[in-house]
Amino acid sequence: MDAVQALLHGFGVALQPGNLWWAFVGVALGTAVGILPGIGPALTVALLLPVTFQLPPIAAFIMFAGIYYGAMYGGSTTSILMNTPGESGSMMTAIDGHEMARSGRASAALATAAVGSFVAGTLGTVGLTFTAPILVELALSFGPAEYFALIVLGFTTLSAVLGDTPVRGLVSLFAGLMLGLVGIDLQTGQARYTFGMLELLDGIDVVVVVVGLFAIGETLHAAAARRGDAPRTTMTGWTWMTRDDWRRSWKPWLRGTAIGFPIGALPVGGAEIPTFLSYWLEKRLSPHPEEFGRGAIEGVAGPEAANNASAAGVLAPLLTLGLPTSATAAIMLAAFQQYSLQPGPLLFESDPELVWGLIASLYVGNVMLLVLNLPLAPVWARLLELPQPLLYGGIVTFATVGTYSLNHSAFDVALVYAVGVAGFLMRRCDVPVAPAVIGLILGPMAEQQLRRALAISQGDATVFLTRPLSATLLALSVLVLVVPLVLRRRRR
Amino acid sequence: MTVAVRRWLALVVGALGVAVLVGLPQIGAGAGYDRIGPRVFPAIVAGGLLLLGASLAVFGGRPAAADPAAPAPAPSGVVPMLYLGTAGLVFLVLVERAGFVIAAAAQFWLVARAFRSRRPVRDLIVAVLLAAAVYAGFSIGLGLALPQGPLDSLF
Repeated sequence: MDAVQALLHGFGVALQPGNLWWAFVGVALGTAVGILPGIGPALTVALLLPVTFQLPPIAAFIMFAGIYYGAMYGGSTTSILMNTPGESGSMMTAIDGHEMARSGRASAALATAAVGSFVAGTLGTVGLTFTAPILVELALSFGPAEYFALIVLGFTTLSAVLGDTPVRGLVSLFAGLMLGLVGIDLQTGQARYTFGMLELLDGIDVVVVVVGLFAIGETLHAAAARRGDAPRTTMTGWTWMTRDDWRRSWKPWLRGTAIGFPIGALPVGGAEIPTFLSYWLEKRLSPHPEEFGRGAIEGVAGPEAANNASAAGVLAPLLTLGLPTSATAAIMLAAFQQYSLQPGPLLFESDPELVWGLIASLYVGNVMLLVLNLPLAPVWARLLELPQPLLYGGIVTFATVGTYSLNHSAFDVALVYAVGVAGFLMRRCDVPVAPAVIGLILGPMAEQQLRRALAISQGDATVFLTRPLSATLLALSVLVLVVPLVLRRRRR
Repeated sequence: MTVAVRRWLALVVGALGVAVLVGLPQIGAGAGYDRIGPRVFPAIVAGGLLLLGASLAVFGGRPAAADPAAPAPAPSGVVPMLYLGTAGLVFLVLVERAGFVIAAAAQFWLVARAFRSRRPVRDLIVAVLLAAAVYAGFSIGLGLALPQGPLDSLF
C-alpha cells in the first residue's frame, strides 16, 4: 500500500540521529509544559517559533509535534497527583485519578494514564497514517469555493468551541481578521491599513501576535490573579497495575481512542470535548457507576486515551487541508508559513520527506513518552516545585529575546508588549485568544479563496451554495453557531 | 463577567469596526478586471465587528447565563502590574544602551518581584545566569547577535 511505503520512508527520516534528538527534546519539553499549569503546548510552540527559524523545517516540526503529544501525557500526572490539571484536556482525569491517588493507588492511576496515552497515541497515529492519503485525495478535488467554505467552517467551530459563548469567540476571531488586513493586498498590490509605515507593508508578524497574546498575556494574567498553592499527595510506594486494573482499562482505552481521533480530526477541535464524552460514556457503560468520582480506573483510562487520540486527529486536517482545529495546530500552521510551506494536499506531493518523516516521528515520540513517563512520573511532578516568580521571569525573558531576534528591533519587542496587554484584557473579559491567531493566519487565505471563487463564477455569489460540498460545509458552519445557542436556551 | 465589563467590550469592538470602516476609502481601488476589489473583505470584517459590538451592547446587560455562582474575579493587583510595566520599559530602555545581559537580567528580576518573590538575592543570581546563558546560546549556538554591553565582553 502507498501509505505503508510512504510511512517506511518516513521512518528513514525520523530515525536519523538528529531528528531523534529533536523528537526527544520535544517530548521532554512537552511533558514539562503539560505538568506546569497555565503553560501549554500552544504557548511553548509560540515561544520557540523565533528560535526554530534556524533549524531545518523537519527538525522543528518533529519537535513541535513532540511537544503537542508530550503535553497530553504530562497533563495527567499533575491531575492525578495534585488535582491540578496542567491542561484543559486533563480535567476529567483529575476527578477519579486524584481519588485513586488519595487512596494510595497513585501509581496504578499514573500507569493506566501513561499506557492508555501510548495505546491511543499510537492508534491515533495509525489512523492519521491511513486517513491522510484519503483526505488528500478529497482535498485535491477542492476548488476555491470549497476551500473558502472549509475555512469558514474552521472559523465558526473554533469560535464556538474555544469561548464560553460563540459571540466572544467571534469577537476574538474578527480582531484577528482585522489584524490580517494590514499590509499589501496580494491580488492588487494596494496597501491596506499601513498608515504609511513601511514596517507594516509586509503585514503584522504572526510571531509577534502569538508570543504577545500567549506568553505576555498569560504572564500579566497570572500576576494579576495568583493561584493558591495546590494541595499535594504523597506517593506511597510503587504498585504496578493489577490484573484487575488491566481488565478494566483496556476497553476504555480503545473507546477513548475511537472518540478522540475523529473528534480531533473533524473541525470541532480541541481535546476537551472528547474527554468529557469519554468520561460520560465510561460512566454509562460501567456496571458500577457509583464508583465514578470515588476512584474508578475507567474514569482515568478513557479520557486519557481520548485526549491523546485527539492530538493525533488534529494533525490530520492540519497536514492535509491546512486547517487548524486547535490553538496549538494554529500556531504550527504559523510555523509552516514561516518556512514558506503551505500544508495541504500539495505538501504531500512536494515535500513527502517532511510530511511522512513527521508522521513517523509521532510513533517514535509515543514510545519515548511511554519510557519517559511510566517510571518517572513522580520525578516529573517535582517540576511543580519550581517557584512561580522564576518560571514567569523565564517566560518573559524567552518571549523578549525571541521577538528581539526576529528583526533586531526594540520596536518589535514594544509591539509584543502592547499585544500582550491586549491579550491580558481579553482574558479579563473571557474572550479566548486562540481564535484571534486563527483569524490572523487564515483570514488572508479566506479572502484569496473568496475572490478567486468569485472571479471564476464571474461575480455570481451563489457559487458557494450551488456546489454541493461547499454548501454542506457552509450549512455546517451555521449549525455549529446556532446549535449551542438553542441548547443553552432549552436548558434555561 | 460584570455588566460594566461587557459594556466596555461592546464599545471597544464597535470602535474597532468603525476604525476599519473609516480606513476603507484610503484603500486604492483594484484593477477593473477584478470581480471584487481590495475593499470588499475589509468591509465584511468591519460589518462583522459592528454586528458583534451591537450584539454585545444589546445582550450585554444580562448576566451571563451559566455563571451566577462563579467566583468573582480576584481583585487585580496594582503593584504587580506596576512591576511588570516597569520590567518592560526597563528592557526597552536598556537593551541598546547597556547590552542584552543587563537589560534581560533587570527585566527578569522585576518580573519575579511582580510575582511576589520573597528572595531577591536568589532571583538576582538566577536572572544574571539565565540572561548570560540565553546570550551565549543565541550568539554562539544560533549565531544571532544580541546587543553587547560591558558584561558581555566576559564571554
